[in-house]
Amino acid sequence: MAALSFLGFLVLLLPLTLLLLLYLIVRPKPVRIPIKDRHVFITGGSSGIGLALAHQAAKEGARVSILARSGEKLEEAKQSIQLATGIEVATYSADVRDFDAVKTALDEAGPVDVLVVNQGVFVPGELEVQSLDEVRLMIDVNIIGSFHMIKAALPLIKKRQNGGPASIALMSSQAGQVGIYGYTGYSASKFGLRGLAEALQQEVIADDIHVSLIFPPDTETPGLEEENKRRPRLTSIIAASSGAMKADEVAKKALDGIKSGSFIVPCNSEGFLLSIATAGLSPQRSVLMAFVEVVAAGLIRFVALCFQWNWYGSIEKWHAQGKTGVNHADL
Amino acid sequence: MADLSFLGFLVLLLPLTLLLLLYLIVRPKPVRIPIKDRHVFITGGSSGIGLALAHQAAKEGARVSILARSGKKLEEAKQSIQLATGIEVATYSADVRDFDAVKTALDEAGPVDVLVVNQGVFVPGELEVQSLDEVRLMIDVNITGSFHMIKAALPLIKKRQNGGPASIALMSSQAGQVGIYGYTAYSASKFGLRGLAEALQQEVIADDIHVSLIFPPDTETPGLEEENKRRPRLTSIIAASSGAMKADEVAKKALDGIKSGSFIVPCNSEGFLLSIATAGLSPQRSVLMAFVEVVAAGLIRFVALCFQWNWYGSIEKWHARGKRSGN
Repeated sequence: MAALSFLGFLVLLLPLTLLLLLYLIVRPKPVRIPIKDRHVFITGGSSGIGLALAHQAAKEGARVSILARSGEKLEEAKQSIQLATGIEVATYSADVRDFDAVKTALDEAGPVDVLVVNQGVFVPGELEVQSLDEVRLMIDVNIIGSFHMIKAALPLIKKRQNGGPASIALMSSQAGQVGIYGYTGYSASKFGLRGLAEALQQEVIADDIHVSLIFPPDTETPGLEEENKRRPRLTSIIAASSGAMKADEVAKKALDGIKSGSFIVPCNSEGFLLSIATAGLSPQRSVLMAFVEVVAAGLIRFVALCFQWNWYGSIEKWHAQGKTGVNHADL
Repeated sequence: MADLSFLGFLVLLLPLTLLLLLYLIVRPKPVRIPIKDRHVFITGGSSGIGLALAHQAAKEGARVSILARSGKKLEEAKQSIQLATGIEVATYSADVRDFDAVKTALDEAGPVDVLVVNQGVFVPGELEVQSLDEVRLMIDVNITGSFHMIKAALPLIKKRQNGGPASIALMSSQAGQVGIYGYTAYSASKFGLRGLAEALQQEVIADDIHVSLIFPPDTETPGLEEENKRRPRLTSIIAASSGAMKADEVAKKALDGIKSGSFIVPCNSEGFLLSIATAGLSPQRSVLMAFVEVVAAGLIRFVALCFQWNWYGSIEKWHARGKRSGN
């Protein structure tokens, strides 16, 4: 009996010791990043998640700027926000692939407190059949465009009025946590953002700038409608493992994550599990999340292996049925 | 006493049950990929890790082709391999950023059994000061170049003579498992390879093609010498957490990993820990490794958090020193 009580004591002591250790080692320290009366600059802000973010940030009292390519869509976005919130957002027309245009827009917009690098394109397809132009498009807009935005914005973020913690948020995707059939180009671009973010956080922490990566699932936007027309069937089967969300819901999760300075921001419960599975060497600023990550890591890795068992099973079944997305007769 | 024996029984039963479950679910199934008498095509094969790979593959009886930009370095590489092994490798001069040149080279080389996408450039520097040309160079060569190689090679891999399992191996880096100070562009490019590889494996498994990602630490190559001249001091402090290796050692680990069809191929013990930490949603083909990943995951995440505590501490100290010295 004494042995059992001792065991019970250990079982209680272990988690408490872990919590204490984590409390001591978790870095960088937690931070709160307000957006009220601060300048929030959102790329890809004329539609989809970017537009929803602009709406919500404006409603919360931020001074909002949105950047996109189409002057017409920017105008519509501006009016829709004016209608819904009474607030006027500033609009800037530029292609993120053009560094000079982006620099000009940011210089015009002035010092920035919260930069949301949200632009992105997504064209699904097996690498074997996909055009390299589409691959390059995703790399250019999603990765290079993000480098352009951050490089142009860094001086303006350092010049922010009234100091305080700043944020650079990058819109990734669950496809930036796991690569699946049909997503070679897109996953390459979104995984890339993670490498950028982990290194960037170490470079800018001394300037009180905090990096966040947002990981939405499929989100109901004009972008998704376009994508669904072209999606390989097998991609749809595998991607169905995670449910779709509305742009407003994603925007809310994103803003909450940015304001709490979280490095990894999941948007739904599948995303939460994915974040634990892919915690890797990412910094974790919340002691509680760190505890969950350590305690659940093993179980979640097992669950991840089950997903691969399921996915590779689907792929095998699909090919056994003789249906492929690729016309082998042509090869 | 009965309670304790029962507990002991559980303690033994749990791992055995886990092993059994993993044996049932691990996908894709394990595979062995021979290289003897098969065509191994290596990019960036005229120096560094690529050259070491070419040497070792040739020694093991593979038919080796190397691709690089400089005809001169290719010739030197060919002679050095001839001298060391007596074997003649085929050489192809092309820049991976040029898809047509790459396609021409591969069409000339013929069907491929093992493609090693090893080319890469690395220029360290804080994003704030680094030139965007350098950023674009790394993305173009390391990511887009890899897409070009794979797209051009896929038809030739499917046409491989004598069938058998084929391999597409991508040379990543420990910087493709964790991003550290000074590595925004390089880590972006190497993390990108992981996204590419995870998706690609699902797309090509039906053709018996197996994807491997190699994760070396700093490796003593001409590339590293160049890089060290330009490395921010803070990068060196943080990167010292993992020891450097010789190109030959990396090549050996890489070939072993390719031949065992492993998706993630670490090269040293720090790399082994990094691989467990970053297992994420990667497929794991070895039941034993899967067991280690599940059992060690929690502890390794804790260790990872300790590393971040150490690194952010170094960064803080560095900046505190800088401010004191009026920097």
